[in-house]
Amino acid sequence: MEARSGGGLAPRTLSALRESWNDLVRLFAHIPFGVSLLAIWALLTLIGVVIEQGKDPAFYASAYAPPVARLIARLDLANIYHSAAYIGVLGLIICSMTAATFTKVIPRRIPRLNPVKVDAIPLHATVRVAGDAASVRERLAAFFAARGWQVRKREFGGTEWTFADKNNWARRGVLVAHVGFVIIAIGTTIYWAKGYSGQFAVLSGETATIPENGARIDLERFAYRIDPIRTKAGVVYQPIDYVSNAKVTGRDGTAHEAVIRVNSPYDVDGTLVYQATYGFAIDFKLTKDGRPVAGPDHLLKEGEGFAVGATGRAIQYQRFVGTIDRATGQPAADPRPNDPGVVVQAFDSDRPAGAAMIALGQPIDLGAGYKLEAARYVLYSGFQYRYDPGIPVVGIGAFVLLAGLCISFYFLPARLFVLVRETGASTSEVGIAATTVKGYEVFEDRFRDIVEELRRTEPAAGTTEVRPAPVLESV
Amino acid sequence: MDPFRQSLDQNLLVVGIAAYVTGALVLLAYFLFRKPVLRTIGLPLAVIGVIAQFAELGARWWMTGVWPLTNLYGSLSLFSACAVAIFLIFAFRYDLAFIGGPVLALAAIALGYATTWNEGYMPAVPALQSYWIKIHVPIVISAYASFMVAFCVSIIYLVKAAAENRYARRGSTVRGTAAAPGGAQMNVAMSSNYGLEPAMGMIRADTPALTSAAAAGDATAQWLVGLPSLARLDVMQYRIIAVGLPLLSLGIITGAMWAKEAWGAYWQWDPKETAALLSWIVYAGYMHLHTRPNLRGTFTAWISILGFVSIIFCYLGVNIWISGLHSYRM
Ligand code: HEM
Repeated sequence: MEARSGGGLAPRTLSALRESWNDLVRLFAHIPFGVSLLAIWALLTLIGVVIEQGKDPAFYASAYAPPVARLIARLDLANIYHSAAYIGVLGLIICSMTAATFTKVIPRRIPRLNPVKVDAIPLHATVRVAGDAASVRERLAAFFAARGWQVRKREFGGTEWTFADKNNWARRGVLVAHVGFVIIAIGTTIYWAKGYSGQFAVLSGETATIPENGARIDLERFAYRIDPIRTKAGVVYQPIDYVSNAKVTGRDGTAHEAVIRVNSPYDVDGTLVYQATYGFAIDFKLTKDGRPVAGPDHLLKEGEGFAVGATGRAIQYQRFVGTIDRATGQPAADPRPNDPGVVVQAFDSDRPAGAAMIALGQPIDLGAGYKLEAARYVLYSGFQYRYDPGIPVVGIGAFVLLAGLCISFYFLPARLFVLVRETGASTSEVGIAATTVKGYEVFEDRFRDIVEELRRTEPAAGTTEVRPAPVLESV
Repeated sequence: MDPFRQSLDQNLLVVGIAAYVTGALVLLAYFLFRKPVLRTIGLPLAVIGVIAQFAELGARWWMTGVWPLTNLYGSLSLFSACAVAIFLIFAFRYDLAFIGGPVLALAAIALGYATTWNEGYMPAVPALQSYWIKIHVPIVISAYASFMVAFCVSIIYLVKAAAENRYARRGSTVRGTAAAPGGAQMNVAMSSNYGLEPAMGMIRADTPALTSAAAAGDATAQWLVGLPSLARLDVMQYRIIAVGLPLLSLGIITGAMWAKEAWGAYWQWDPKETAALLSWIVYAGYMHLHTRPNLRGTFTAWISILGFVSIIFCYLGVNIWISGLHSYRM
């Protein structure tokens, strides 16, 4: 109220604000702007595909030239899909789509019935037929209706127009597609807000707990099957099956038998547990001058390590070798444990000090009286778990998006503008123009067919016989 | 392994490649010389090739008991078969036989290249042992194949647009017609291509510079006039991409459903799925640009080419250069 009665500055500010807002909406609704946002999205996605994601800085330092590695670190390109830029551009795309939908798509897609200048429309034709204007209009209405067109008549300034629409409903296809995209965005946001995921590894015979929901997984056994297959390039060892047999205890407190394999996860209270990976945990024994000393306090998985007494040295278990070739002492192609061993890396004050492959059960000398033995291996199973309450919403969004795409692409809304003028006693001229939501070219063949059929079925000007239009296959 | 099945497999492969190579040559000749007899010979060769290829994929499945699309050999075979099948549908439905040469040539190259990835009998790794492979892979591959066919149309579009531009620059004095190179379009009726009566508005026509050069006896111009107009080529390209984009969307969606079952998350930002998303964005961009009459044409043809480059990157580049969950090894 104050702003209105005060006059002067406030209304002007208001209208300036409104003008800026309108400018902003216009910018966002502009297709080239929206497509530029899509291009930025594509570019960020490409960066994410090319640069391996989620590794630690040391990886980039070793994999890329120093300036590139620095750039990756500075711009956070190692975690691009969760970066502010990525999420921001998706947000902007949704804003742009919304602005376009309300200011362009809806008004353009659902236009009012208006007269047009027939000759000025690229798709137009004139057909001279027998009959006075009123009867010709009636026949034309029947002609279009019989071919599946929705016919409407309107009078403008005393002139009667006939409008024929096909697939008018499909004008909303774009809206459906845009809404689908927004629903998917909502679904993924639900996961971010409420979902969780993680991973854990359990040794055969041990137990793990999912921290978020307290579910317990007792891994009874993990087994794999790897088959040697003879191919043209020689024998390859092809993984055939990985399976974890476990007892899973959820909220109900009862332990349920679970067989978890790739492609068949186990559902515990809505959280899905997946077979993700496996490995060989090693029981390392450390001795000094022949007597056992404190080494690692648990079986080590690949990548884990331990300090060797107070020597300043450390040992890292790098990888498991299924078969050490007896003749060469090198790893053989067979990944299955036949004559197994491990590769360990020694560090001296954090600096690499050499790697060695040691066969299981055969100690190696670490110097200063220390000996290390990889005594035995235990298979462990790596699981992923995920709780994603957004999935049904994403599913609905995907369906809606797909439906929108199909409606937009396969049902072309077209409108015919038909104007009948009497040109003499019992002769009329029919002007027809056509528009579609996708321009004119896409409709040209059909338009030609319609006009030709009209010429064939309508009595030519000058004839007196008036034939009813035959019902043909709809266009 | 059963020698009969093995030789059946080999023979079908040879028939497929031979039909594509000869079909490509014949249809390229049709493209260049427009002799209807070449079309009459070329199209059946394409049909023979496609039947042989689908039969070969079936034979391999029968022979090994393993769904044949678990490696690049099988998937590239399906890719070339789908591309030729989609080409044939468009050739018969929209009189698009003139692009058969490049399509069959690319199909033959893809199939030839596929054989270099033939490891022989290989059972599927655990992640691929899923009914989803039978749904997801054919959908994605047929999307790729549609984009390949669209790519061929785009190339022809750009060749014709460049030539029309050259004739226009040479300076024709004739004025006033429809689809100018680059897709700009004027509202002037023209109908000569279709032999329609006057007063029928038409838009698919060549530029006056080209038609007058053809009328003056310029052989290249006459050849170019024999190609569909730019506006028509643009519509064809749009229609084919409109087949590919929903397929790619469905492919991504089914891939996400499979990923959820196999790896625990419908979207893991794995390089392969992300590269497919990249292609999807490019083609979504194409569709939006295509809604603007002033951008429809040369610009959108380039976007279609960019889209296919992104498809090749997603299809082969990621498999070969970038490891991820799709090159699944545990
Ligand atoms: C970047 C922001 C976006 C803007 C500004 C935008 C805007 C528009 C506009 C103005 C149209 C044309 C409407 C008409 O001709 O009446 C359109 C068409 C369309 N949009 Fe969007 N849109 C955006 C993003 C998206 C996304 C992400 C999708 C994915 C589902 C999508 C799907 C479609 C479809 C399928 C069409 C129909 C195309 C055709 O009929 O050829 N749009 N959009």
